Amino acid sequence: MKRRLFAMLLSAVMLTALLTGCGGKDSGSGGSSSGDSGSGEPKKAVSLWATGSDNVREIFEALVSDFNTNSEYAGQYEVTLQFMLSGTGAQTLADMLSAASKAGQTNTDYDIVDLSGDDLSKLVSLIGQEQFVKLDSAKIPNAASVEAKSSIADGYCQPYRGTTVILAYDSAKVPTPPATMDELVEWMKNNPGRFAYNTPGTGGAGDSFARSSVYNFLPEEAFTSDDEKWTGEWDEGFNFLKEIHPYMYASGGSIVYPNKNQGTLDLLNQGEIDMCPNWADMVLSQRASGEIKDSIKITQIEPALTGSLQSLVIPTFGSNTEGAYAFMNYMLSPAAQELMVKQMAAIPLIDASTMDMTGYEDLQGLDVSNFRLQSIGGLSTSFNERWDNEIATIG
Amino acid sequence: MSKSLKRNLVAYGLVLPAFLVVMLTVAYPIVLAVIQSFQDSKTGAFTLDNYAYFFTEPAQLKNILYTLYVCLMTVAIAIVVAYLLALYLRFVRSRIAKTIGTLYLVPRFVPAMCAVYAMITIIRDSGLINRIGLIFGHDVKLGLMYHASGMIMMNLWFNIPFAALMITAGLGAIPDSIIEGARDVGAGKFKVFTSMILPLSIKDVVVAGTFVFMSNVGSFTTPYLMGGSAPKMLGIALFDQFNKYLAYNRSAALSVIMFLICSVSAGVYIYTNLKENEWEK
Repeated sequence: MKRRLFAMLLSAVMLTALLTGCGGKDSGSGGSSSGDSGSGEPKKAVSLWATGSDNVREIFEALVSDFNTNSEYAGQYEVTLQFMLSGTGAQTLADMLSAASKAGQTNTDYDIVDLSGDDLSKLVSLIGQEQFVKLDSAKIPNAASVEAKSSIADGYCQPYRGTTVILAYDSAKVPTPPATMDELVEWMKNNPGRFAYNTPGTGGAGDSFARSSVYNFLPEEAFTSDDEKWTGEWDEGFNFLKEIHPYMYASGGSIVYPNKNQGTLDLLNQGEIDMCPNWADMVLSQRASGEIKDSIKITQIEPALTGSLQSLVIPTFGSNTEGAYAFMNYMLSPAAQELMVKQMAAIPLIDASTMDMTGYEDLQGLDVSNFRLQSIGGLSTSFNERWDNEIATIG
Repeated sequence: MSKSLKRNLVAYGLVLPAFLVVMLTVAYPIVLAVIQSFQDSKTGAFTLDNYAYFFTEPAQLKNILYTLYVCLMTVAIAIVVAYLLALYLRFVRSRIAKTIGTLYLVPRFVPAMCAVYAMITIIRDSGLINRIGLIFGHDVKLGLMYHASGMIMMNLWFNIPFAALMITAGLGAIPDSIIEGARDVGAGKFKVFTSMILPLSIKDVVVAGTFVFMSNVGSFTTPYLMGGSAPKMLGIALFDQFNKYLAYNRSAALSVIMFLICSVSAGVYIYTNLKENEWEK
């Protein structure tokens, strides 16, 4: 009896310890380097950090294995991928990096990090661009032909692929798509119920369309500013969104803004609408895999919907700068760029004429140097709230 | 150590792990959320603004009423259908009844996401029904997608089997002898139902109703995929407050409001259970 009692109390105590122990676990520091960086030999292991949806994980796994086995650096460096599926971790990659930087950690295994335009601008405002290695162009020869420049932390980050929101349309129903925003509006009015954009805050395509519509009425500098003063100038843009509201897709007797990018793309594919803003890579990769109709094409309007550049950075608190440079250079090689085109319909940043672009010819029409980048930071929160309260509720 | 003390300690030791888990993962966050709901997001001072927002902002007020409408409609239809189904399964002995008896639980085992997408492909304006209609030259537009009626339909898919399961269990506990006894003294079918079966199963009906209600107040998947832009179910409204607007204090207030809505239902449940204890004395 006594022994059993003891065992039970012990297990209870252990459980408590376990539960409280979890709370105090040091997570997100990324740990310290496991490699032996003190010796003279160049360190072989390179840790690559990336975050995103599952398709991003797949492409990175393919790239890493190609780098480790087929590239010119095979045998010299060994890259391991540390991938964080977006929306699953309590801490985002940007948070983890800023925590490591602020805690003064050095020699971590954050050797090279893949960042979206948004995450990059967030990180730069959190810890400053000096926390990244100022890139030596001599060590990235492949970057010489890259024209695209990041609007933030230029020189401290290396853009390697682009993506942009475009207008996706069903060419079987719309033979000549609108080329400007004005033409688009005119088309909407002539074809009520045949256009939809997804609820801002549920996917980047809807965000881009709603924000571009509003910011088209503002000076260009507002597009990359998180200054509160701009919120006061949104009225004209919101009135525009109200004006086009009655011509949007309707179901069950009221106007509907579907959730998520896929929501509008499904409507387009089902033929319930003829046009919607969406991500170029999303549309093209789904078309290539046969998930959506072949007649769905993409086009850009003027002024353009927003796009962003995906960049690589080398944190100063990492532990294998040379290895990071090697991977960065590899990412701009024709082989790697072609892989990204084929697997995720990424917009290549190097000259595409030497690549096999079969099935992705639409990408060549998109000019990366003409990318309209947007980062309104924290203002997006109040933007979405205002949209929800003023536009969604019109009914 | 006396024997009874030992026994008590063993008992507490057994309960302790579960108790701690509940305290840490349920009670503690609830207390925090309630406190947060009365705090100003910037100063942390006491305020009722977080609650006032949901009852004064027209869009938010509509969300609350809309949620109540969807939930109550779901409960009403689910319970009526489930009750009829349960009666059929309990009192009709045929091969069809037996087959239905084994099949009606199948929807419970279909993952929610799959079921919702399956329903969408059938009822959407360009879905299966529309395509069948087109073969016969009719462009059938049901208008169920992004509309309350579509969501209620989806909720019924999930909740009818659940409610039927509970009510069938209740009906199964009514001995045949009672019904035969009533028949023997000359009661007609209707009389047997109103004065025997209904009173004996009403408790299960109410309990099933409260469960259906509570599970739908905070539902997310169905309204997210099938609901319109506005008004929204509270589950989505909460998601917006928390993830889109990063308004944590308001999120806490809305959580408490949803908790209170559910506790009305929980109150009915507890009251029904207590009443039976009274009757059993």
